[in-house]
Amino acid sequence: MAKKTYDLLFKLLLIGDSGVGKTCILFRFSDDAFTTTFISTIGIDFKIKTVELGGKKIKLQIWDTAGQERFHTITTSYYRGAMGIMLVYDITNEKSFENIVKWLRNIDEHANEDVEKMILGNKCDMSDKRTVSKERGETIAREHGIRFMETSAKANINIERAFSELAGAILEKTAGREPGDPADRVYVDRRQQPSTTKSCCN
Amino acid sequence: MPDCNKNFESEIKEGKNLRNVKCKYCSSLILTPSTGTFTSFEFNLPLMKQSKVNDSNPDTENVSLFWAVNEMYTFQNVGFSNTVGDNKYLTCADCEAGPIGFHDIPSKKSYVALSRVQHV
Repeated sequence: MAKKTYDLLFKLLLIGDSGVGKTCILFRFSDDAFTTTFISTIGIDFKIKTVELGGKKIKLQIWDTAGQERFHTITTSYYRGAMGIMLVYDITNEKSFENIVKWLRNIDEHANEDVEKMILGNKCDMSDKRTVSKERGETIAREHGIRFMETSAKANINIERAFSELAGAILEKTAGREPGDPADRVYVDRRQQPSTTKSCCN
Repeated sequence: MPDCNKNFESEIKEGKNLRNVKCKYCSSLILTPSTGTFTSFEFNLPLMKQSKVNDSNPDTENVSLFWAVNEMYTFQNVGFSNTVGDNKYLTCADCEAGPIGFHDIPSKKSYVALSRVQHV
C-alpha cells in the first residue's frame, strides 16, 4: 500500500445559472473555427486540484453541475458530501445575480447545513458590460454571512485565490476532525451527456 | 505509433517517473516524481483536436507508453471527463487540454500517456 499523498480531501461544487462561466472558471484550452477539442465535446465530470494550506496538503475534488441546472435537477444527491460550494453569477447578467437567492434556498433545502459557501461575481474583465455592481454582490454576501469575490476566469483573476480561501474556511471548520473516507463519493452516476455548452467566455 | 519516435528511457527510474509530469500547454503540475509506474500496452486514445465534421466518430491514435496511477488522489492536478464506456478521459485541470490519458473505471486505475505530457 502506497503512503497517502495528502492530508485532507474536500469536495467542492460549482453552482449557478447556465452561462455564468462556471465551466470557464477552469477553461482555457479553446476550440477554433475548424476543430473542436475532444474534451469539450464530452464534457468534464470533476477535477482534482492540490493546494497547500497551513502546512497541509489538501486535495480538492471539484464538481461542476454540467448543465443540470437548466433542468432544475440539482437535488440532495448532488449535494451529498459537499463541504464547500462556489455560487457563481455573471456580473454582466442581472438575472444570474437575482437567481443567487434561489440557489441559496436550494442549498438550504438540499445541502448539509454546515457547508461552506462563497459567492463569485464572474467575468469581472468585462467591465464595459457590467450590470451588477460590486457593492450589490458584497451586500448580498453580507446579508447571508458568506464570503464574496469578483473573478475573471478568462483573465485568470482571483480564481486560485477563491479556491484557496474556500478551502481555508473548510479547513478552519474541520480542524481537529479526522478526514472522512472519500471512497464512496467518487462518482455521481451521470452517464455521458452530450455537452452543448462551449466557449462560455464569449 | 507517435510515442515510439521519442526515447523515454531516461525518464524512468526504478520503474517510476524520474521527473515532474506537467501539461504540455500550460505547465500545470500533474504528477510529482515517483508517483507513476511505467506501463506499456496499446490503447486507442482520441486526438486532442477533432475535425468538426466528424463529431460522432473521433479520430484516434494508438498510444502505448503510460504512467499508471493506482489512486486518483495521487494526482496533483487533473480533470476527469464524463464517462465513455468503461473509461473517463484525463485532462489538464487548468487548461483542459486532453485527453492526456484515461481512467479505467472497473480497476479504478488511471493511465497518463507519456507522449501527451512533458517531463520537467
